[in-house]
Amino acid sequence: MAVTGLGVITPLGNSVEELCANLAAGHSGIRQLDIPRWEELRSPIGASAGFRGEAHFAAPRLRMLDRVSQMALVAAAQAVADASLNFGAEDRDRCGVSVGSGMGGAESTDEGYHIIYAERSDRVKPYTVLASMTNAAASWIGIDYGITGPNLTYSTACSSGAVAVGEAARRIQSGDVDVMLAGGAEAPLTFGVLRAWEAMRTIASPDPRDPGASCRPFARNRTGLVLGEGAAFVALEDWNHATGRGARIHAELTGYGLTTDTAHITRPTVEGQAGAMRAALKSARLGHGAVDYVNAHGTATLQNDAVETAAIKEVFGARAYALPVSSTKSMHGHLLGAAGALEFVIAVASMERGIVPPTRHLELPDPACDLDYVPERARTGVTLNAVMSNSFAFGGTNAVLIAEALGVRR
Amino acid sequence: MSTLETLQDILIDEFDLTRERVAPDVELAALGVDSLDLLELMFKIEDRYKLAIRDDVPSDLTTVQDVVRFIDRLLAAQSKSADSGGADRHAAT
Repeated sequence: MAVTGLGVITPLGNSVEELCANLAAGHSGIRQLDIPRWEELRSPIGASAGFRGEAHFAAPRLRMLDRVSQMALVAAAQAVADASLNFGAEDRDRCGVSVGSGMGGAESTDEGYHIIYAERSDRVKPYTVLASMTNAAASWIGIDYGITGPNLTYSTACSSGAVAVGEAARRIQSGDVDVMLAGGAEAPLTFGVLRAWEAMRTIASPDPRDPGASCRPFARNRTGLVLGEGAAFVALEDWNHATGRGARIHAELTGYGLTTDTAHITRPTVEGQAGAMRAALKSARLGHGAVDYVNAHGTATLQNDAVETAAIKEVFGARAYALPVSSTKSMHGHLLGAAGALEFVIAVASMERGIVPPTRHLELPDPACDLDYVPERARTGVTLNAVMSNSFAFGGTNAVLIAEALGVRR
Repeated sequence: MSTLETLQDILIDEFDLTRERVAPDVELAALGVDSLDLLELMFKIEDRYKLAIRDDVPSDLTTVQDVVRFIDRLLAAQSKSADSGGADRHAAT
């Protein structure tokens, strides 16, 4: 499976180049939010993307698109351009779209309910259903490129993006399709969504000195996750299809593992997470010694980080202590349904550049989290042959992706 | 300002169109205005004319002129009911 195109809209920049530069520099995209009623929030922070739909779409089109679809379309277009894909020259029944999103068009839902319940008006926008439905982003991408093969949306909360990429790879593997545009998108930074997340007591407290330092994965003083917005897409192709058209190939997607935790709707388990990592290694036909970097789920919640650390130790044994594991969520926040796709893109782009991005704001280690989390500073000039990206979720769907550098196997 | 001019202004504003394109006999679909856009357009028309259109938008409005005729019909009905409403109030006193 060839990864031939990458595209991103993120709190750390709207191109893969800018994203990688900011990750390598350890910059944080988490900031004080500037949304209506922010002062009523207990924790008015988030990782917003510097993205204005008006810069990409004319007004009539914009009315139909929730922010989540706007970001998805622009990130997908980057991946298409990066892959030099021309769908006009493809058998478009053999091309597909696969998108992960947790909440779909949350802003349109929020706005619709505001009109109904707060304004007590019956003037709900006629496009509300079409803008807020979870599969809107995937549909618009299909429409834009005339992609007539499978058009799929996966909603497995925080692992949606990884599942969308992994399932897309399976589609190609099955021989049904040659090309899949796969990724994730999320735009959850509305007052209503933030309030609901706050009610669950999983959102980080703002760092009083620097809001950018509020998300502290694996640290003793971690207080929770910080929500972020954005979209990330990859162009996936059957290997022969990619080489046949002379495509430039970023990496090979070789591993995908899925397991489900059933203990509780929010509680992760060591067995579930370890099982997903093992399944991914098995599908890549790799021993654990082959993995050079793990982009952790690393949400900075008390539970996740300790459980994920234990799961990594279970899978990698003594080698776990020598394996660089970092959570880039410390910088770009938690993009929910887009997180798995974004972090897979980061893992691939880091492998291409020979850079291990750091876990920022990890000054106080937690005794329960004792791995090499690449604290504070990126490592450059390293050789990465295989990278793993972990995504776990409320609801229990654990998804792990593995990508390998070119020429390792061939 | 005539109903046609008002509608043309709204269309130009909301759908990035030029005045030349929004001729009376042009089809809404040709302007990129679909049935859902038309419903949203009606909110603006309600505001402009203080009308309550709600669920009464017919499905056979094809051209710009069709919409103008529809609005004019509603305006005529509104002024008629306002007249009779006035008469009722007099009767009550």
